[in-house]
Amino acid sequence: MHVNSEAEVFEHIVHILRNFEGQEYSGPIERDTMFFADMGFASIDAVLLGEQMEFTFNRRFPFNELLMELQAEGVEDMPIGRLSAFVYQDLSSSQ
Amino acid sequence: MPRIDVDGVKLHYQQTGEGPDVVLIHAFTSNLAVWMMIGIMDELAKDFRVTSYDLRGHGLSEVTPNGYNSAAMARDFARLHDALELDSAFVVGHSYGGVIGTHAALEYPDKVSGIILADTYFPGLEHIEPNVADTVIWRELSNDLGKSGIDLGEQVDFGRLFEAVKNLTPEQTEAIRESLGPASVRWLAPLGKLAGTTAGMEMFEEAGLTADRIQSVTVPVVGLYDEQTTFGATCKYLEDHLADVRIDVVPGARHLAPLQSPVEFTRLVKTHLHRMAGMDTAVETS
Repeated sequence: MHVNSEAEVFEHIVHILRNFEGQEYSGPIERDTMFFADMGFASIDAVLLGEQMEFTFNRRFPFNELLMELQAEGVEDMPIGRLSAFVYQDLSSSQ
Repeated sequence: MPRIDVDGVKLHYQQTGEGPDVVLIHAFTSNLAVWMMIGIMDELAKDFRVTSYDLRGHGLSEVTPNGYNSAAMARDFARLHDALELDSAFVVGHSYGGVIGTHAALEYPDKVSGIILADTYFPGLEHIEPNVADTVIWRELSNDLGKSGIDLGEQVDFGRLFEAVKNLTPEQTEAIRESLGPASVRWLAPLGKLAGTTAGMEMFEEAGLTADRIQSVTVPVVGLYDEQTTFGATCKYLEDHLADVRIDVVPGARHLAPLQSPVEFTRLVKTHLHRMAGMDTAVETS
């Protein structure tokens, strides 16, 4: 899938999260919304999100690199905006 | 999501890479996210075809009322192995995952080429391992959750834990998040679905994996025990009784090496897999 902007990636992620299996979160999803703390997801949900993003964009993403980055910064969570920026950067590098 | 039907039970799995087969089996109450989060799948995929899966009742695999002892779980492994058409595989099992891998090596010898046991305790070695029913980690968990009004008792009782999690109030969940951090809530949250199953009891069943049978394992085994393991007697037993065994230590870890020492854990697993697979490796083991 070709995307033109990070905002477009962000919208795809929001769409995936809004239709997530078993999700109960109905609040706003902003760039600083935290996947775990705000949305109440568990680690295995991150795997499921990764699988759905791979399906949407038809490619694998090195998500562990993002997780390592966040850990190095002492962030015990995943801001949705960081996720979309990471995915957009990865997509841009191959487009 | 990639799921495969194994004897009527849907198991969620992930696979990546090319090369000799490696299967990662997570611990009881964990799920395959542990391997994804620390990046070990991508690291091993440089040289191996790596498969990880959620044990039944865990992660995104189906919950069943029973079928959680190591004999049943080894059967799941074998069926998954067949369904994915794997070659004989190196199994990396964390804690209970190591019990399953060992049981599989004995029951399905054509499917297992070697085993890495990560801080594994065997129900069949209960007579030599004194630290199970009152393991330090359980007492710490019990103390921590006790501050949030959850009584787990002194003795390891997973069934009680599952029921407690199932009935957590939002206030208790928030209290746990405050006192133990978000990672603990992420670990606890999925466990409620195991309430009402026999999983908590079955994981302590010997299930035919006696001391004599453990001794009869002939494939290469690596005992990767944590620096602060509570299962030192088990480690010593394996070192003294298995035909082809090496022991290594994960520094700074206490039963949860993949999470507590992910870099060193990954390095050691990779090094030993290379050695067992006959690949050159420039990394020294400790």
